[in-house]
Amino acid sequence: MNPIEEYNIQLTRREMLSTSRTCLGAAALASLLGSSSVSNGANKETLKLRGALGKPHFPAKAKRVIYLFMAGGPSHIDMFDYKPILKEIHGKELPESIRGGQRLTGMTSEQKSFPWVAPMFKFKKFGERGTWMNADLLPNISAIADDITIIRTMNTEAINHDPAITYINTGTQQLGRPSFGSWLSYGLGSPTEDLPAYVTMISVGSNPGQALYSRLWGSGFLPSRHQGVQFRSAGDPVLYLSNPDGLDRPLRRKMLDGLAKLNSEKFAQMGDPEIKARIAQYEMAFRMQTSVPELMDLSAESKSTHEMYGPQAKKKGSFASNCMLARRMAERGVPFIQLFHRGWDQHGSLPKNLRINCESVDQPVAALIKDLKQRGMLEDTVVIFGGEFGRTIYSQGKLTKDNHGRDHHGRCFSTWVAGGGFKAGFDYGETDDFCYNIVKDPVHISDLNATILHCLGIDHERFTVKHQGLDWRLTGVDGAKVVKDLIT
Amino acid sequence: MIRFLWILTVLFFLSTETVAHAQTDEIRFDRDIRPLLSNNCFHCHGPDDENREAELRLDIEEEAKSSAIVPGKPNESELYARLISDDPDLKMPPANSNKELTPEQIKLFKKWIEQGAKWKKHWSFTAPKQSPLPKVKANHWARNSIDYFILHRLEKEKLKPAKEADRRTLIRRLSFDLTGLPPKLDEVNAFVNDKSANAYEKLIDRLLKSPRYGERMAVNWLDAARYGDTSVYHADGFREMWAWRDRVVDSYNENLPFNQFSIEQLAGDMLPAPTIKQQIAAGFNRNNGTTDEGGLIPEEYRVEYAVDRVKTTATVWMGLTMECCQCHEHKYDPISQEDYYRFFAFFNVSADEGKQSRERNSSPLVKIADPEKEKQLPGVQSQIAELQNKKDIHSKSVDVALEKWILQSEKQIRKQKPVPKDISLHFPLNKGKDKSVVNSAHPEQKGEVRGKVDWVKARFGQGLKLDGKAYVHLGDVANYERTDSFSYGGWVWVDPKASGALLARMDDGNKNRGYDILINGDGKISVHLINEWPKNAIKVITKKGIKAHQWNHIFAVYDGSSKAKGVQVYVNGEFWECATEKDGLTKSIKTDKSLRIGSRNPGSRLKGQVDDIQVYSRNLNHEEVQAIAEKNPLDSVLAIESKKRTDDQKKHIREFYLENEDAGYQELAKKYNALKSKEEELLKPLTTVMIMSDQKKPRDTFVLARGSYDSPTEKKVQPGTPPVLPPMTKGFPANRLGMAQWLFQDNHPLTARVAVNRYWQMLFGAGFVSTPEDFGSQGEFPTHPELLDWLAVDFRKSGWDVKKMIKQIVMSATYRQSSQISKELFEIDPENKLLARGARFRLQSEFIRDNALALGNLLVNKKGGPGVKTYQPPGLWKEVGLGGKPLFVQDHGEKLYRRSLYTYWKRSAPPPNMQIFDAPTREKCSVRRPRTNTPLQALVVLNDVQFVEASRNFAQRIISDGGKNKKDRAIYAFELATSRKPTNVELNVILEVLEHARKRYLNDPKAAKKLISIGESQGTVKLDAAEHATWTVVANMILNLDETLTRE
Repeated sequence: MNPIEEYNIQLTRREMLSTSRTCLGAAALASLLGSSSVSNGANKETLKLRGALGKPHFPAKAKRVIYLFMAGGPSHIDMFDYKPILKEIHGKELPESIRGGQRLTGMTSEQKSFPWVAPMFKFKKFGERGTWMNADLLPNISAIADDITIIRTMNTEAINHDPAITYINTGTQQLGRPSFGSWLSYGLGSPTEDLPAYVTMISVGSNPGQALYSRLWGSGFLPSRHQGVQFRSAGDPVLYLSNPDGLDRPLRRKMLDGLAKLNSEKFAQMGDPEIKARIAQYEMAFRMQTSVPELMDLSAESKSTHEMYGPQAKKKGSFASNCMLARRMAERGVPFIQLFHRGWDQHGSLPKNLRINCESVDQPVAALIKDLKQRGMLEDTVVIFGGEFGRTIYSQGKLTKDNHGRDHHGRCFSTWVAGGGFKAGFDYGETDDFCYNIVKDPVHISDLNATILHCLGIDHERFTVKHQGLDWRLTGVDGAKVVKDLIT
Repeated sequence: MIRFLWILTVLFFLSTETVAHAQTDEIRFDRDIRPLLSNNCFHCHGPDDENREAELRLDIEEEAKSSAIVPGKPNESELYARLISDDPDLKMPPANSNKELTPEQIKLFKKWIEQGAKWKKHWSFTAPKQSPLPKVKANHWARNSIDYFILHRLEKEKLKPAKEADRRTLIRRLSFDLTGLPPKLDEVNAFVNDKSANAYEKLIDRLLKSPRYGERMAVNWLDAARYGDTSVYHADGFREMWAWRDRVVDSYNENLPFNQFSIEQLAGDMLPAPTIKQQIAAGFNRNNGTTDEGGLIPEEYRVEYAVDRVKTTATVWMGLTMECCQCHEHKYDPISQEDYYRFFAFFNVSADEGKQSRERNSSPLVKIADPEKEKQLPGVQSQIAELQNKKDIHSKSVDVALEKWILQSEKQIRKQKPVPKDISLHFPLNKGKDKSVVNSAHPEQKGEVRGKVDWVKARFGQGLKLDGKAYVHLGDVANYERTDSFSYGGWVWVDPKASGALLARMDDGNKNRGYDILINGDGKISVHLINEWPKNAIKVITKKGIKAHQWNHIFAVYDGSSKAKGVQVYVNGEFWECATEKDGLTKSIKTDKSLRIGSRNPGSRLKGQVDDIQVYSRNLNHEEVQAIAEKNPLDSVLAIESKKRTDDQKKHIREFYLENEDAGYQELAKKYNALKSKEEELLKPLTTVMIMSDQKKPRDTFVLARGSYDSPTEKKVQPGTPPVLPPMTKGFPANRLGMAQWLFQDNHPLTARVAVNRYWQMLFGAGFVSTPEDFGSQGEFPTHPELLDWLAVDFRKSGWDVKKMIKQIVMSATYRQSSQISKELFEIDPENKLLARGARFRLQSEFIRDNALALGNLLVNKKGGPGVKTYQPPGLWKEVGLGGKPLFVQDHGEKLYRRSLYTYWKRSAPPPNMQIFDAPTREKCSVRRPRTNTPLQALVVLNDVQFVEASRNFAQRIISDGGKNKKDRAIYAFELATSRKPTNVELNVILEVLEHARKRYLNDPKAAKKLISIGESQGTVKLDAAEHATWTVVANMILNLDETLTRE
């Protein structure tokens, strides 16, 4: 039986048994019977929540997603979309025929010269299929070439950060829509007793660079409980998690016992099931006070694991440390984990800063894949590595012997996926010789979202929420499609 | 099996609600049928002709009845046949639509057709009418008209209203509903003991008069107006709109009629001779998110702003989802894409631009004077007048001394060395007023000021003040090669540490080719001659620096030798020794970039004043440079025979004398200038507000294909309102103002309903229409349509009197009901749609915090002003900010305890203790907040510094004012938070926790100290630490009570 379905059924039984003698039962049953009205948030006794979907549309291959989001627009040309011919055209002018009247950002639209730039790195073929990758910067990711599928024809209409990063994370450039993770929290619910269904973490590469926005993990028009909970490296890992100085856990327990009694009294007086839900939420909060620090404590990890993720993993808040945490969350059942890694916006000094960025991700990402694999979790975990768009083949600013920049490029960029029903050791899509236009098999960002949903057992066209009279989807109405060739 | 039976029972209860209508006799088209048609059929058989299948429309009666429906005969109606068909090719809705009708719904269709398939226009597009009050049996229960409607429905459902809530509950309910704050104990007691017949009404009147009322009402309006202190997109930088927010608070407190309020919010700028308040109100539609992103295409965002304004206006005033037809015809409501762009045209002529400021406000804006400063202004201005007078008198008294000085100066001129005559370029910068400057050596050559500059009094008459961004473009002149000899420089006045080029012809983009004379941050002067920096260039730099805040003459002389020693620098006529930093020039220094004053190309902009720029095409000798530098600014005038001097020239001489030679005058001038600076400071506005304003020459509006800014069609449209609604009254202007007035026409079906529905939602937790943002076809049908209409008409007839409407609602028996819920009633009506009980719901985020501050006696009831940055966990802004900026800098003192309405609202990272309690980000308009119940909320009230600090201050209050023994104190604490006394059971629980805490802290005084040191407030009385900590735990528990967090 499908795991999510299985847990839903178990949960259903448990809910009925535990709540059937209270008024809560009716509300619970109402939601159970398929009431998916947003305003009608039924309350449960743990963080465990049934999703609005009830059960997946079809058997799911994946149980969870780890989304490694490289914010700023990583250069596909310098990492995953290499062609030997680039060396020959280096320094020549990009002809108008290839640009094809493309919208340029206001940063280079005034530029007079558009010289082609070949990557200033060594490239080699990796994996059984012999796929090109940057041998200088990606020694570890290239070593897992056979575990990942590189999509070279990702594309988006947006050409600036704010709209592009909002688009890929919420399915539209408009503000106010739920993020990918909150859609899943809403649809599939949360299978964990004491952790949220959607967790985000932020780290910084070469520099903080472009801004992020809470809307990227926000719940839009869905109830706010579905928004991503940010786990943080400094201070409380979850906001307000720790008791105030001078108030210890045993006393907190006593106080919460008192609170629960008083609230139960109130329930007896008023009969409002919301009060029972409140009691449960306080218990949940109390449990999170231990479950979250336990989760965040990497000292329990073995030496070999630490070695695999590299020395950076010892540093709180680093991408490496977040990768290790992501695996721990995945183990504990968190269904959507999103890591934002900032600083990929290389308008200038690309060779230097791309190196810094790759040094911060190469080893931990490869380690994460290996780690999941050796624990047998890769097969039901989708891992995605990519950003909001790619970068231009032409140089932004001056091209010198060892330095250049690249502007934003949405017409094609590379994202790789692994696990959870995606093919392994596979390349999809083709761009032209200049990594500028797509020649074959485009994958729009909404197509990828649709495909990820498919791996989770969800038909993206039937996964809708009614808001302002319309049936909204994560994947919009522009005909997003599941890319069947990407999945096993 | 037992479980199975139980499910059946509950199923039965649930279904009574949904299919209740099927059992009553009459099917109502608007309530029962239209929503089903809309949700299941309109997508393909509705207003949008692009998607229409089989040329069938079911949203128009004639078309539906001409083919698909035969009134009275379901079995002859194709519509019904399709609903019940087993054939997957015929069955409707089709399987791929993901829509399905239940058997009960299909039965409804059958019955409706049988009853004659009566049709009605969508309810909300017909103007509301007041129906007579319904007849009710228990009319003794009804207190006002509202109750007749509610009771009528309850009696129909065979339900009884709940008993009236007790007075303690009522005063707490009313205080939160009308002011967002808890009642004080003496207010509770006064109300409980008030024996007068109108005690309840007096309470309402008192609350409505409280200035806190306006703040409470504003909180909801800020969500609708998507108000924030930052710009949303990209950098999400700081902006200043708080004066607009304060105007909203005042408007509510003044009880500005809703029509007037709305017209000012939408078009205050367009009213005849608008007051400053009306202009400020017109900031409403400038609260939208704006961008500053470097790569943006401004037109894309300019259109986006107009789209947002259409959406917000339509949602807030009409409950219409007009944004649906930006890209195509509306799928459900009779609004076409063309209608959309006609409405859009009202906003498409706004004068604000696509790219707006990263920080602060973008024009158009209105400046708001600082009342405190305004008070000082007359005093300063009269002092200025007085000094001016003194200066004038002094000026007239110096004739004799002046004459003597002139004679002396004339003699001196004759002794002076002559200045060189062969000047190539001479920009005295004297005649400039606007953008053009003239080379007085060759008047046909002109230069052009680029950027904003001030013309100021300088070394010689007038000069230019550059702001570090502006410069003067002189064109293709002085294009020297490294083998030419030439000399150049001029007068400069800078602040300490200022830097930039005085004069340069240099291409930064081409390895700095060219030459310059540059002031460094330390005052040293450097001169570059460059072919390719740093490989092929000369650079010399003076060993000492010039003095700031005085005029300096700086000048470079080059002999064409391509050697560093061929470059000499003179300051004020003196040769200054230089260090050589580069000495390897072997290639051309010629560049096609132009010569500039105050800048290289494009960098090194100078901040400071410049005057009298000169260039010579040879290397001058020391004496010649000296002559230029020492030249008396008056030389040219003094050289003229005294009789031939014009009045202007005479005046010039007198002024120069007074300012430079007359100590008495200088003293006066110093005072005068100081006062002028003060006046300038006082005249600076307190703040500005961005306001709506239309272009002088309005741009045309075209329908945009698929809503895309770069795909205008040829279809040009004129501003106008959707034809499904009544036309604009003749005489209203076809612009934003006319549109705002149109909303308040007597026959407008939506405005009053939408507004009243929101007031009802505020007071009952949900509106009659549970989708306040959508009154269209897909919105929910009202629970009490007749009452909604009755109130809507009443609202309009009252002159849109908001306080009166709110008073009327809270005066009703319906509102006064107890919110106790029986199991039976909950099962029948879990969402309390029928209102057989009072509403009970968790307080909104702002009031949860305000309540805690009030209980801790911390709340600062100060009105208005800039948003305050209260406690928040570290790093939240840095984690998301552009380049990690700006950093969050927390405020201190009373700013930590203002009402939450005044909390600084950064929209990419809103205050987390608000967001966790369901506050929206305010990036977009929202008229309804979800109300969730989560563990993160528990953590906020348990552990957030703000709440722990409030707990400890609450504890201090309990100990100081709650009586001597623990019982009295516990009762006092509980009553403060809930407005009622605890039961014995409750009291014992509190005392039990108290004893646990006491034991803990008596054993660990250090822990006690820690707990009572949280937060920045200082205790007002000295308390025993253990006792204080003990009560802090109890206070914190009481703050966390469901009852404390809830209005019931």
